[in-house]
Amino acid sequence: MTAVQHPPLDTGERRRTGDARTLITSLIDPATVEAIAVDAWVALVGEEELLVPVPGDLPADTLSAWVDVVGPWTGSVVLTTGRQTAADLTRALLREAAPELLDHEDVADAFGEIANVVGGNVKAALPGPSTLGLPEVGPAPAVRHPEDVCRIDVLWRGQPLAVSVQGALPSLPTPHDNPHPNGASL
Amino acid sequence: MKILVADDSRVMRQIVIRTLRQAGYDDHEIVEAEDGADALAKVSSEEPDLVLSDWNMPNMSGLECLQALRSAGSRVPFGFVTSEGSPDMREKAANAGALFLIAKPFTADTFTEHLDGVIA
Repeated sequence: MTAVQHPPLDTGERRRTGDARTLITSLIDPATVEAIAVDAWVALVGEEELLVPVPGDLPADTLSAWVDVVGPWTGSVVLTTGRQTAADLTRALLREAAPELLDHEDVADAFGEIANVVGGNVKAALPGPSTLGLPEVGPAPAVRHPEDVCRIDVLWRGQPLAVSVQGALPSLPTPHDNPHPNGASL
Repeated sequence: MKILVADDSRVMRQIVIRTLRQAGYDDHEIVEAEDGADALAKVSSEEPDLVLSDWNMPNMSGLECLQALRSAGSRVPFGFVTSEGSPDMREKAANAGALFLIAKPFTADTFTEHLDGVIA
């Protein structure tokens, strides 16, 4: 007697596996991101510089610095804070070498380098092999898939700052996106 | 002793130089390079005794710079100071002839640990 072969139950797992996509929330947790950020702050900004894990409302005028990670998980590690706080961070990094008047290049360099260090350590905590891009500074890159985000919100010197590890690929397919009842992908 | 510090970030070069001083290496001449290509040129023109280089830089990466130096016969002591310290990168660094890889963020103690014995 031949056993009847039933098609596997469509749980969506096969599509996810086929896409080789794993959400960031199953790869890293907020506590790890916070520990990475705290270590970067202590080493780069100063031993007395604390990041307090209390969310605050970001001001309207923000600046972001980020690095891209490309590999089994692809996305960006994005630091966002108020423009004035980014300038204060720059002065804290430069210390006595800070010029009287900061220009955008100084802020981009300093804020970008913090993102580079945080991003490099986030990358090291993710499955590899991956490559890390050069730091970029500007308006925050859009969140492409809200479920593919691990974000922490902290205060530095009382000012809000967010670290977002966010997927950069288009949205994962959802069951109603797929016209094929057996879950086949085109 | 002359130390060449290569990093595309001016802020990071200053932090590396500050950390060298905090670690007690404050009586050495420092030369700065802003990417791997600049570092390669300055190894020839400045003849440093040690190169401390970032990995990920525009124009020429730190690893490409080290490989070019070794291909040209230079034996200058070379260490990486980089935001990534994965086992894969440490292996690549060692295979290319790097003495050490210091991962950012670092402290003065990290520098002492890796540089004692390298810097006289």
